[in-house]
Order: sequence, then structure tokens, then C-alpha cells
Amino acid sequence: MKEVMAVIRMNKINDTKRALNEAGISSFTATGRVQGRGKGMVDYRILHGAEEGAPEAIAQLGEGPRLVPKRLITIVVSDDWVDKTVNTIIKTNQTGSSGDGKIFVLPILEATRVRTGETVEGPSGGDVLDSSGGLL
Amino acid sequence: MSKLLVRSIVRPEKADAVMKALLEAGFPAVTKVPVCGRGKQRGLKVGEITYDELPKEMLMTVVPEADKDFVVKTVLGAAKSSETGNYGDGKIFISPVDDVYTISSGVKE
Repeated sequence: MKEVMAVIRMNKINDTKRALNEAGISSFTATGRVQGRGKGMVDYRILHGAEEGAPEAIAQLGEGPRLVPKRLITIVVSDDWVDKTVNTIIKTNQTGSSGDGKIFVLPILEATRVRTGETVEGPSGGDVLDSSGGLL
Repeated sequence: MSKLLVRSIVRPEKADAVMKALLEAGFPAVTKVPVCGRGKQRGLKVGEITYDELPKEMLMTVVPEADKDFVVKTVLGAAKSSETGNYGDGKIFISPVDDVYTISSGVKE
């Protein structure tokens, strides 16, 4: 099993949910608003605004990169569903400019279904996972 | 080189200092998540009332394996509330990351 953790743009969350659902990956956890910064790419609209002397733009120019609001989503899938999940997220969220986000794939050792208490390990996730690879 | 996810749970008032320290140490990419939790001391007890959902900030950053010790040292240095440290200063968890993708380019790093 793998955990696919993605940091995406706030306004892409609904598209991502729909796309994942259509791809057959229905289980999904979304964390509310998170704040993040990336490699420090510059938002040119703010720079442009600051050059023109707009006070609200100047106020946003800090010492370091600004924190940008993002959504954090996590999906646990079987190993053979990782590529499909990652590709779906990339396809839905890609605008080509910096700030689209990152996807991290982390190993999961064990999954337990709370309703029944059954635990599974290993790459496929066994019968705790439904046919779509999501946790039932 | 394989990467590691470093999740640091720190005091909210220390989050800015940690983020600044990470930036200066050359790790600009951080995601900050507001979280609530308790630790080994079972929360804070003030008189009759126990506070067991103390607000913290979780800072998530993915770093190369070779930089692990340096990043941990950086976070520790900035997150401590005093020279000796206090209960409630937080924890750092490190887990392996299999793959990293940049969405804008679709490139696997």
C-alpha cells in the first residue's frame, strides 16, 4: 500500500475530486486549508503591483517567500494503483506554472478497517481495499 | 537519492522562527498545517480543567536523506522555547518517501 499525498491549488479541489472519482479512486481525505511555500518562485503580479506602488502589494513583500494557501489531500491505494492516482492528479492540476503543487508517495505498512477491526499488510492491501484500490 | 518526509509539530508561536530557520538553511519548501493534539504529559492540567487538544503547527518538508540530521538540528534549534527546552515544544517525525512529482511539469524527481 502507498499513501499519495498531494499539495494542490485551492480552486482545483473540486476538479480533483471529480477526476479521481471518475478514475475509480473514490476514497479520499482532504485536509482543510494549509499554508505552504515552494522553492521560492516569485508571484509576478505582486512584484508588478509593487512596482506600480500599490500599497497592498508592497505590504506582501516580505523578507522571505510568502506562504500560499493550498489544499492537502491524502489517498491510500494499493501499489498498482499509484501510477493511475498520480497521473490523474497531475492531469487535473497541471497549469504549467509554478505553484501547481507537489505529490509525495509514501509507504504504508498496515491498514485496519475500524468497522470490523481487520488488518492487512503488504502491497495489495488485501480485502480491506475494494476493487478500486481505495480503502472501503 | 531517496527522500524523507520530516513532519515537525511545533508551538504555533515558534512556527515562524522554524520556517525562517529552514529558509536560511536552504530548505524553502514547507507546508504548514494547523493541528491539535496532546503528548506524553496527557495535555495541560490547570486546576480542575484538562486541556488535551493543544493547538500546534505541523510543518511538513521533504528533504534528501543526506540532509536529515542537518534539518532536524535546524528545527530543534529554532523550535525550543528555552535553552533547555520545555514540555510541549513538540516532536519531529521522519518517514520515507518513495516518489516525488512536481505537478506543474509532471516530472518525477
